[in-house]
Amino acid sequence: MTTYKLTPAQNMHNIWIHNYGTQQVSGVSIVAALKAPMEFSLLEECIREEYRRSGCLRLQFTKPDKKGNVKQYIVSKEKPMGEIKLVDLSGLTYDEADSTMQHWAYETFDGDNIPMCEFRLVKLPQGYNGLFVHMDHRLIDASGMVGIMGDLFGLYASKVFGTKQPDTPADFKEVLLKDLEKCSNERRLEKDRRFWAEQLDTLGEPLYSDIRGRGVLEASRQKHNAPELRAADIVLDDLFVAVKDYYLEPEPASRVMKFCERNQISPTNLLLLTIRTYLSKVNGGQEDITIQNFISRRSTIDEWHSGGSRTIMFPCRTVIGRDTEFLNAALEIQLLQNRIYMHSNYDPALIAEEMKRRYNTPDNTSYESCYLTYQPVSVSTNSGRLKGIPMLVKWFANGAATKKMYLTVSHTDRGEMKFSYHYQTACYDDKDMELLYYYMMKIMFKGINEPYLTVGEIMDSI
Amino acid sequence: METEMKFKQLLTQYTGLQPENISNDMRFREDLSMSSLDFMTLLGDIEDEFDIEFEESDQVHITTVGEAIELLGRYL
Repeated sequence: MTTYKLTPAQNMHNIWIHNYGTQQVSGVSIVAALKAPMEFSLLEECIREEYRRSGCLRLQFTKPDKKGNVKQYIVSKEKPMGEIKLVDLSGLTYDEADSTMQHWAYETFDGDNIPMCEFRLVKLPQGYNGLFVHMDHRLIDASGMVGIMGDLFGLYASKVFGTKQPDTPADFKEVLLKDLEKCSNERRLEKDRRFWAEQLDTLGEPLYSDIRGRGVLEASRQKHNAPELRAADIVLDDLFVAVKDYYLEPEPASRVMKFCERNQISPTNLLLLTIRTYLSKVNGGQEDITIQNFISRRSTIDEWHSGGSRTIMFPCRTVIGRDTEFLNAALEIQLLQNRIYMHSNYDPALIAEEMKRRYNTPDNTSYESCYLTYQPVSVSTNSGRLKGIPMLVKWFANGAATKKMYLTVSHTDRGEMKFSYHYQTACYDDKDMELLYYYMMKIMFKGINEPYLTVGEIMDSI
Repeated sequence: METEMKFKQLLTQYTGLQPENISNDMRFREDLSMSSLDFMTLLGDIEDEFDIEFEESDQVHITTVGEAIELLGRYL
């Protein structure tokens, strides 16, 4: 059996599992169902075929060492996958069925050298039928999951309607080996190390900013009896997460996207500016703000079509003064993000280690309260005869958050932008999220309507 | 010519277009639909492939395939 190191993206999840003491923090679950009768035996056949086609579904991990490090290996496609249950929830109300699936999402994959993904066939209320998948994030990220679901429905359509089979996915192992080669390339590693060190050399120690304002940092300063402390405590013992979703209607959502297109600003960078402006506003005009931003490292055709867990987070730290015009601030963030992209093979754990070494921050503290992921791709059925059939897709929270507030922004098939706030209930409540969304919209639209206003003018006007 | 071909072969991995179908006046963003992340990742691959290191100030001015090849030529 050949074992491989984890990539930095996988290692990020592995560190969380180790630090938080539960695999639950690494769970990812989705249900995808069509409002149509389904031939479940065929769908099961498709899942088993997908298991053979996509190497990432066959990943397993060795027993962790004392530091929590594990190795990965790909189980042979000849080894059959386990049982796939058919669960009938059609007699329940939608809320009851939703609650049942939510509980499945809380389940953990406990043990070493075991499969880390589980499929269920589901009959849902209101005539929806499909599948529920629960996996470990070290196997897959959201983009990878979207690809696999698309592939599965493509396979199903080919079996039922005789449409063309979806193309064979790229070889997961080949892409994994390329990734491992890149991140162990000494020259590249040194260049990345230099880049991240330069960030700290230039700006010094980051400064925490919280959705609730300065009080949170002040409380940490008191707790550690360190009046100059610049990082705040994180919660390790109460990981319960709640979710608050908001939908921005199609017309304003389209205005946001048009602004981005016209000014060649990526939506991620506009969102980063929006969040940082809010944090600045509620933290007494603080100009030095850091947000953790997730990057889905998929650029080559093979990277797009090989599944896997490629999403990785890096700190986006900017010092933007009140007098900076909104558009210029967005361009400043964009410039920084582009530089970060160039160094995104680096392991973010090394950045955290370096900060700890330089600033001797207390254990279990952080410089960030907000984490962002912008997810432009969504699950859909573009396979001939399935196209146009109403589809139910829902991502389920794993119930254990490693982050104070994690915002996922995506697009719905109705043209809306969805803002999904996952927050630790030990830190925030739904009122905090309501305020955050409200002010984010005020800031974003003030900015896109009057991009030459300064950030300070926008903060004062809302 | 060899440099140009090697560069276009790398680009093929990102675009799916065969090297002979990639012309020098093609723009990375508009014609090849490459995002900033794609472009910066490509630059990293070029650095590895040709064993060079771009100056950051050079990177921002590149918009077309031809400009990238010309820049690469200056580093070789």
